Amino acid sequence: MIRYRAFTKAYGGRRAVDGLTLEVPAGSVVALLGPNGSGKTTSIKAAAGLVRPDSGEVVLGAEHLNALDARARRACSFLPQRVSFPETLTGREVVDFYRRIRHVPGDATDRVLKFASLNGAGERAVGTYSGGMVQRLGLAVATLGTTDVLLLDEPTAALDPEGLGAFYRLVDARRQAGGTVFFSSHQLGDIERLADRVAVIVAGRLVAEFTGRQLAARLADRGVMRVRVDAPTAGLLERVRALCPEAAWRGDELIVPGPASMRPGVLDLVREAGGDIRGLTAEEGRLDAFYRELIGAPS
Amino acid sequence: MISLRSVLWLCARYELVLAVRSRWLQMFAVVFAGLALAVASAGYILSGGHGVQDFSRTAVSLVQVVLLLVPLASLVFGGLALTPDRGAAELLYSQPVPRGAILIGRMLGVWLALAAAELIGFGIAGLVVQSQAGLDGLSRYGALVITAVVITGVFLAIAALLASLNPGRRTRVLAAALVVWFVTVVLFDVAVLGIASMLRSGSASRLLISATLINPVDAARTGALLAIEGTAAFGAASLALLRFTGGAAMAAAYVGLSLAAWMVLPLWLAARTLSRADI
Repeated sequence: MIRYRAFTKAYGGRRAVDGLTLEVPAGSVVALLGPNGSGKTTSIKAAAGLVRPDSGEVVLGAEHLNALDARARRACSFLPQRVSFPETLTGREVVDFYRRIRHVPGDATDRVLKFASLNGAGERAVGTYSGGMVQRLGLAVATLGTTDVLLLDEPTAALDPEGLGAFYRLVDARRQAGGTVFFSSHQLGDIERLADRVAVIVAGRLVAEFTGRQLAARLADRGVMRVRVDAPTAGLLERVRALCPEAAWRGDELIVPGPASMRPGVLDLVREAGGDIRGLTAEEGRLDAFYRELIGAPS
Repeated sequence: MISLRSVLWLCARYELVLAVRSRWLQMFAVVFAGLALAVASAGYILSGGHGVQDFSRTAVSLVQVVLLLVPLASLVFGGLALTPDRGAAELLYSQPVPRGAILIGRMLGVWLALAAAELIGFGIAGLVVQSQAGLDGLSRYGALVITAVVITGVFLAIAALLASLNPGRRTRVLAAALVVWFVTVVLFDVAVLGIASMLRSGSASRLLISATLINPVDAARTGALLAIEGTAAFGAASLALLRFTGGAAMAAAYVGLSLAAWMVLPLWLAARTLSRADI
């Protein structure tokens, strides 16, 4: 569990996060979504104990420990946005160092290197790794031990397909083990694929929060059906508008925005009115369009 | 849970491995050995002679080189090593161990690495001196080696403080390190002597005594000269300290305290600052 209570942090007079109140329930996977500079990294770093709140607090774990408390750091693993390692160390040496610091048994090194698809590259110096491999090494370090809370700051930004697979496996495994995962991402596909809940933060403020089901419903509301009709009868549009007030003709296409549940009723109306349906397309609401709507960006 | 001693040792070993693989440290070891050898073999040139000096003369000739080069190398190397990139720092300091322990452990690792490089340099020069001039004055040479290792620790502690004040900002740390080096090694003595020349005798003495204890380079110079040559090579400030303390033993104790304080205080401040810093 992670709980932000009126968490506020400013840098040089500019508020990076402004009164964030948010709860990441135990055993859930929550995504933090927002444009660049919206305060996602500051929020996640505060949970990792790297940033001191100017006001408010961040607590985590079953014991509700303040994130700045060293005991809270034992309960969480953190993967920074642009993780880096000394170039002259091998992947194995890096993992071994963090394994020892976290007091994890020795066999974990091989396990996490294999998990991150780095078992063939563990003996090579990090300086020879690609960006994706460095990020995978970061994932390997983050999977050491079995912490309650996993904090990931844009974990998929630099991942190659192998790394992406490892990341999905990691989140799924944590979910199955009852762990809590809190991650920020710009990759809307990751969010749809992984998150139980989504929190949207803009200019340091929480602007929206949805469960996976609520998000699916919101996206469904933003779907649209296009029905190509030959010989439309007069009055069809008015009858459809009784179901969907935003329905409109565009040429010979009847455009019907709204949730999928409404569509069979509309098609029945078209048929009853003697309309000859020549074509039909349905499009679900897109998260990117919904996200732009939430953050007030032009679509 | 991992013990504090294990964290210190783990971080020291981590940093030692990094330092040993660093080209900068390898270069420092070579340059240091070259300079020590050059000083040992060229010391008689100014007096019209030739051949390798004995350990005592080599030690005296090397004091200035050590006090010029070692603080610079310690500040720069320490500044670079103790200021990890932002991504590395975020991962490192999110671990469930005190940040101060990580910093001090890493500083110890750099200290071990630099001390090893210095020992290699002194060792190579020492072998040449021993083969050409015998073992006379070896203990004085040893005192210089100890001074070099101690002053390395002092300036690494200062580098740790600079790193903790600017986490993740290497350029800033390096700039500050160069300023500290210039002030302590070059500017401080000039300024103190300039001010002292404008004061009355008593005030000037007090200023010179304070200056010797305040500046770690001056304290180390006084300590090294005291161990190598006694009071014969003392300058105005060291003589003032000697008069104030009433003898060489007390002067050495004051110098030791000053150097110990210069090692402990910056390190304590560094650990405290880092524990409260936003990473």
